[in-house]
Amino acid sequence: MALTITTEVKGTEAFLTLVGQLDSAAAPSFREAVDQVFSHPEKPSKLVIIMNGLEYMASAGLRGLVFAKQKAGSNVPIVLSGVTEEVYETIEMTGFHHSVEIVEKYE
Amino acid sequence: MEPLTVPATLDDLEILADFVIQAARAAGLEKKPAYRLRLAVDEIATNIVTHGYQEMGLVGDITIYADMDEETLTITLEDNAVPYNPLEEAEVTEEDLHKPLEERKIGGLGIFLTLRGVDRFTYERMNNRNCNIFTMRRPSSGANP
Repeated sequence: MALTITTEVKGTEAFLTLVGQLDSAAAPSFREAVDQVFSHPEKPSKLVIIMNGLEYMASAGLRGLVFAKQKAGSNVPIVLSGVTEEVYETIEMTGFHHSVEIVEKYE
Repeated sequence: MEPLTVPATLDDLEILADFVIQAARAAGLEKKPAYRLRLAVDEIATNIVTHGYQEMGLVGDITIYADMDEETLTITLEDNAVPYNPLEEAEVTEEDLHKPLEERKIGGLGIFLTLRGVDRFTYERMNNRNCNIFTMRRPSSGANP
């Protein structure tokens, strides 16, 4: 169990693909990846986080999303794509679905 | 299941997660309740490591127990860190849940998910140890509705 993070930039959009477990031990590397995306000289117009392979997310992951939202600012949307049912339950229970865009598949 | 003791570090918490997943399977919990239990135990264990041990400059360990009867599965976490009652954490309010992310408080989400996720959560301080007890109802068998 661990977290694999792949970063990709297509045009002005940034993509983070998360595979594995986003627990408190893995949260710092997620924040680091978010930080890198937004420290690029040309700030991305959108951050898409692909979560099909994310089996588990703890509150440390939610705090990572807060960090991402703070970095992104209000004009840069954050899209969560392919969220599993269990992870979605956590996002909904904590009201995070009001602040991010949730899609089945990003195209 | 035999109790298990692990060092109180964030990297070792996945061992506790595996233990909970196995216990939930043995108890026949459905996928979602099993996930919620695993999340609850992980959140509290994270608090024990960070607030109970690391912030106090202490090292130590956490012991996990699983007990099952016909109706319930009970997971207990025990540690000998400083007294730390997760129920005393500031509660996340309904208002907080509707705030935009950039205005969110950082704390309190873990205990919120714990209390929402398990059927019963209790904290006890006994013999200089913290005991965090998580109880889930097992699915009732057809003969016993």
